[in-house]
Amino acid sequence: MNILLCCSAGMSTSLLVSRMKKSALEQNLPYHIWAVPIDSVNKEMSKADCLLLGPQVRYMFPEFKKLCDKRGIPLGVIDTAYYGTFNGKEVLRFAEDLIRKSDRISD
Amino acid sequence: MNKLFHYMEKYFMPVAGRLAAQKHLCALRDGIALAMPMIIIGSVFLILANLPFPHYSDWLAHTFGKDFSTKLAYPVDATFNMMGLIACFGIAYRLAESYEIDGVTAGVISICAFLLATPFSIPFIPVGAKEAIQVTGGIPVALMGSKGLFVAMIIALGSTEIYRFIVKKNIVIRMPDGVPPAVSKSFVALIPGFIVIFIVWLLRLWIENTHFGNLHNIVGDILGKPLGVLGTILWGSIIAEGLISLLWVCGLHGANIVSGVMGPIWLGAMGDNAAAYAAHKPLPHIITQQFFDNFVHLGGSGATFGLVILFLFFAKSGQLKQLGKLAIGPGIFEINEPVTFGAPIVMNALLVIPFILAPLMNVVATYIGMDLGLVARPNGVAVPWTTPPIISGFLATGSISGAIMQAFNIVMDFFIYLPFFMMYDKMLKKQEVQVEEPSKNVVSM
Repeated sequence: MNILLCCSAGMSTSLLVSRMKKSALEQNLPYHIWAVPIDSVNKEMSKADCLLLGPQVRYMFPEFKKLCDKRGIPLGVIDTAYYGTFNGKEVLRFAEDLIRKSDRISD
Repeated sequence: MNKLFHYMEKYFMPVAGRLAAQKHLCALRDGIALAMPMIIIGSVFLILANLPFPHYSDWLAHTFGKDFSTKLAYPVDATFNMMGLIACFGIAYRLAESYEIDGVTAGVISICAFLLATPFSIPFIPVGAKEAIQVTGGIPVALMGSKGLFVAMIIALGSTEIYRFIVKKNIVIRMPDGVPPAVSKSFVALIPGFIVIFIVWLLRLWIENTHFGNLHNIVGDILGKPLGVLGTILWGSIIAEGLISLLWVCGLHGANIVSGVMGPIWLGAMGDNAAAYAAHKPLPHIITQQFFDNFVHLGGSGATFGLVILFLFFAKSGQLKQLGKLAIGPGIFEINEPVTFGAPIVMNALLVIPFILAPLMNVVATYIGMDLGLVARPNGVAVPWTTPPIISGFLATGSISGAIMQAFNIVMDFFIYLPFFMMYDKMLKKQEVQVEEPSKNVVSM
């Protein structure tokens, strides 16, 4: 499972990514999780199974929704409370749910 | 207050979204960002050539030979002072990319169009003469940097729009099947490239017949000066900073949205200052990119460094104490999402007040300090926004007074946040006690 996160400069999300990786490692899940700035999303998206937006860039949702729909991957905005506390475990679960749900629809 | 937040969410957010996703503004921001690493590299040499130690230039000349500080500035000219040229390519590239047409071709066309709009003549004062004469046959380096930034922006956007129009209309030379893709690609650019160059050529001929002489003069007079004034006076900065905080209050990345519009102005001012600094002339601007990055956003947007210190050392509630530990690391590097979303400040009626007030006070205090000459102005050195305070203040001004100004602002922010922090901390502590000892609470009621 490949989870792509994005925020303005990809900095604060990268901190969240390290927490998510830790949580995935604890559960023995071989996920690939990484963060990029908004302007690189276009390029990186082909490698992702889902895209998560930092809440501070949620205004990009409509723009990215179009791109995600084109590629058939789910898009989600990270919960502000989980984001603020860098709750890797919950955000990881959120990503898993997103992917599971979108798989069900495409089936 | 909740009504206000609801109102902002409903009406503010779509506008912010449209602004942030607007293709031309995005291209400007991301295209100029392409020049940033080179600007920072140039800044390193700019610092080395002008270290603020007594007798430094004498020492340089003595150790490495005469004119060594001039030689140290060679890379500055090739990096920092090519800002406009690099941005010209970058903006066209990014805009073309967003239209899903060939970015490299658009970038190359844009660079040629930019050079075509620039007269290849340089003012030169011969020894003994009083007035400058125009020497032909050289690209004027001065117009390739921050001075040419606005022209570069206009040309990049304009030429790429023409390029796109023609490609979309399918007016291109098509090669038969079997011709290698690289060959046919080079021909695809031919007609749009020719039309862009032809239009800019006509434009230049026409402008040469007016008293302006060239496009750089027109853009400087009509666009550059008024915009530059608006962006670099105190009131313009207060409005811009207020908007950044207000957007963050809604949980939106204010700096990112506002810099789409203000970034070129602040970067241009930074370039002007760097040029003056390298030439040992008085610095023209107080408000540059570094004014905001390094003196106002201490600890991140909202100047939350003072607040994080309060969390870390004075919080009685478990939540804020914990948050302080989490936020101090990123906070040193001016990243504060743990604070804005963790405290939270977003949609929090209490903490929103100092979150807007503190950075505004930083703007005013820093401006006054620099205007009175108590604090050195930002000398144009491009200090990355993630550089920790105190160090960044010194680097951005080349003077210890810059570091002191930052320390002053942090202390001021600390006291601005203090009363609001105390109220909020007390509130959270009370909630925590209630959760921990519900039975006791019932008895007391």
